[in-house]
Amino acid sequence: MQAVVSAQDFSCRHNSAEVLSDLSFEVGEGDYVALVGPNGSGKTTLIKAMLGLIKAAKGCIRVFGYHPDEQEEWSKIGYLPQKHLSFNQGFPSTVREIVGLGLPAKKTLSGRNREADIEAIDKALELTNISDISHKLIGDLSGGQQQRVFIARALVNEPKLLILDEPTTALDPETRENFFSLVNGLNKEKNVTVIFVTHDMGTIGKYASKLLYLDKRIIFYGSFDEFCRSDSMAHFFGESSQHIICHKHN
Amino acid sequence: MRKPFHILCSALVVFVLLVSCETKKQTIEVNRNDKLKVVATIFPLYDFARLIGGEAVDVSLLIPPGTEPHSFDPRPENIVSAGRAAIFVYTNDTMEPWAGSMLKGLSSPGLVVVQAGRGIALTEEHRPDDGHDGHRHGHEDAPDPHIWLDFDKARKMVDTIVESFISVNPAKKELYLGNAKKLKDSLAGLDQKFSAALKTCKHNTIVHGGHFAFGYLAKRYGLKYISASGFSPDAEPSPQNLVRMSKTLKKEGLKHIFYEELVTSRMAEVIAKETGASLLLLHGGHNISKQELDNGTAFISLMERNLDNIKEGLQCRR
Amino acid sequence: MDILEFLSYGFIRRAMTAGSFIAVLCSVLGVLLVLRRLSLMGDGLAHVTFGSVALGLAMKVYPLYVSIPVVMISSVGILKMIERAGIYGDAAIGIVSSLGIAVGVVIASASGGLNVDILSYLFGNILSIGDAEVYISMFLAALVLLTIFFYFDEIFSMTFDEEFAKASGINVNRINLILAVLTSVTVVLTMRLVGIMLTSALLILPAVTAFQIGRGFKHTLFIAAASGVTSVITGIFVSFCLDLPAGASIVLINFALFFAAFSLRRFNVFHG
Ligand SMILES: Nc1ncnc2c1ncn2[C@@H]1O[C@H](COP(=O)(O)OP(=O)(O)OP(=O)(O)O)[C@@H](O)[C@H]1O
Ligand SMILES: [Mg+2]
Repeated sequence: MQAVVSAQDFSCRHNSAEVLSDLSFEVGEGDYVALVGPNGSGKTTLIKAMLGLIKAAKGCIRVFGYHPDEQEEWSKIGYLPQKHLSFNQGFPSTVREIVGLGLPAKKTLSGRNREADIEAIDKALELTNISDISHKLIGDLSGGQQQRVFIARALVNEPKLLILDEPTTALDPETRENFFSLVNGLNKEKNVTVIFVTHDMGTIGKYASKLLYLDKRIIFYGSFDEFCRSDSMAHFFGESSQHIICHKHN
Repeated sequence: MRKPFHILCSALVVFVLLVSCETKKQTIEVNRNDKLKVVATIFPLYDFARLIGGEAVDVSLLIPPGTEPHSFDPRPENIVSAGRAAIFVYTNDTMEPWAGSMLKGLSSPGLVVVQAGRGIALTEEHRPDDGHDGHRHGHEDAPDPHIWLDFDKARKMVDTIVESFISVNPAKKELYLGNAKKLKDSLAGLDQKFSAALKTCKHNTIVHGGHFAFGYLAKRYGLKYISASGFSPDAEPSPQNLVRMSKTLKKEGLKHIFYEELVTSRMAEVIAKETGASLLLLHGGHNISKQELDNGTAFISLMERNLDNIKEGLQCRR
Repeated sequence: MDILEFLSYGFIRRAMTAGSFIAVLCSVLGVLLVLRRLSLMGDGLAHVTFGSVALGLAMKVYPLYVSIPVVMISSVGILKMIERAGIYGDAAIGIVSSLGIAVGVVIASASGGLNVDILSYLFGNILSIGDAEVYISMFLAALVLLTIFFYFDEIFSMTFDEEFAKASGINVNRINLILAVLTSVTVVLTMRLVGIMLTSALLILPAVTAFQIGRGFKHTLFIAAASGVTSVITGIFVSFCLDLPAGASIVLINFALFFAAFSLRRFNVFHG
């Protein structure tokens, strides 16, 4: 079976500083990968590289078997960027229009008004519980509401690979729980591959099947169970946090 | 070994540059140091100064040829060249509002500043009434700076300029006065030609698709004059004014509309198209093109060409 | 003189038709520019045009043939500077426009003067539009509208978030290039037709008006275009009634429309 994401000796630089060095890993279909690591460890950079937003300095990274510049399966990828709240707050667009941005671009002005698209958008709005505000302007929403909109935008396309860069930061506890179970449902029922960046190790430990611990290079990559049994766990997080992260696996 | 060599080279280059600048400047001074250096802002003043001074002066035109003087904005090199001169001639503060502040920035105590329009009262713009509508238009209270287009006033300007030349260089008094007399005679001749010819015309209205420059000229020879915009070509004409001009052309049965020098003639073309009239140049003399400057075009000849065009436009007999 | 007679004059009719097409063109492009914080693109490119016209006149080539390519390169340059060097849009525009002026001034000085006044050559007036230019404005408006029509999803996505657009497979570079080219041609030709003041105003004001009351991206584009056209038509009528210059009247009407839209929004007429 072909890997969904595969990296080989992959390195990446910002200006002249090497930010990621010599990563080699594979993410298989149906995997639920928790991508963790301290601030500045290169998580966002790795994700951007998968999407072709940052060029490789060395080696290569493939998604669905394609080099980012030749990617042909964009419609299978759902992406929630980390810095999504830095957009122009006065942007004159409705929630509905923004969610539609997650659909593949269709030519012409009425592109996203086709029936199938309208249905897909309605469904995504419902999943994220924002149907009631779908005609509001994006700038008129709260930070957490905006985040839900961007989550809907990542989901609208019914992606086979979901890449989420710190999706839960602005969400209230209830919404956060709902979101985790929503993603979990997609992963378990629809076999959607998930790459989930978070600092919330406690919660992600409940759902993710794999853990990729990054700090410029791969510190650990394997199942959560292995991680809990390994020395790196104790080394990086201390004995005390072990029971929080590994509660389910002990 | 390498470092001293580099430093040496750089020093040499800098030295050569300095020396070459210095010698260049000196040769200019030597060549011209016996001539009176004069800087004039606009073309008529430049031409008058050139004719009055003859070989004894070195006149330069401050505003680069081709540039419209109303919208001119002096640049460092202009200020420097004004600072090097002995005499700076400008028209008046209405025509060159930038001159005052430019001179303030100059610290050359020896510079003689001549306001050529000194003592010449400016009339407020008063557009001739075209009869059928008594509308008022903008700019009505502004003074008209285009005094050189009244040849009598131009003669006064010559007097003012010549006085300043004499005060700076009394030794050449005879030469200056002689040249000035010749110039004033030709201006008087021009005046006579205009008034004689313009008495014989079928029409008496100049419709000008440019800015309001010919108020003095029209008044002197008893003509009516309407223009598309106010004193400066930058001013935008109003649609009503264009309609008024088209109507005047039709009512008077005029076959020609005049356009102004240097700036595009699009406004005149529009009205011409509306009424089936054709275009004739009416040169305000403010400035001339580089080509004309290189050819040594004179103010008098520009005005003679204007007379020919006015005679054609107004259908005059002589 | 009554309105009908006023309308019987060719230059008034041409001002209204060409003016309306230009208004649609500029308003729609303006929405895209203002949202990407490139509001002063029009002014900046006008300065580049100044430099390039000087270059054309000095080389004795028809200035438009020099201006259009030079301005295109400049606008691509502005976008590249923002993208590659991470410079803010306003600074990038400032760099390119001052470079444009400097080149113009150097050429004008080096050639010791020119045969025509560059500024008057550059800046037209809405009342002096010729027949051919009416067609040019129609053609250009059609071109811009068709482009936006065919690339609507892509353009919308990029305007909102260029990085996300790229990550959803949109060829951002190609569309940026197309928009840069269209913006350049629009600025150069519109300026020649209606002058810099009106070009700049029509690029910014209808867009800002539309942001006050737009209920979505498409809606905003329509409102911008409508408010641009309204400003041109009423502006010309107002200038006729009050005997004022046309261009300035249009700008004032634009401001009035903006103010009205702003008040409507303040008093919650649109935003429940
Ligand atoms: N645009 C940029 N220019 C230069 N350096 C950058 C840029 N973006 C990130 N970096 C550097 O790259 C490294 C990795 O950054 P990255 O954003 O990938 O970290 P991260 O793991 O996502 O951190 P966080 O948990 O804070 O989101 C950091 O050291 C940062 O300084
Ligand atoms: Mg990050």
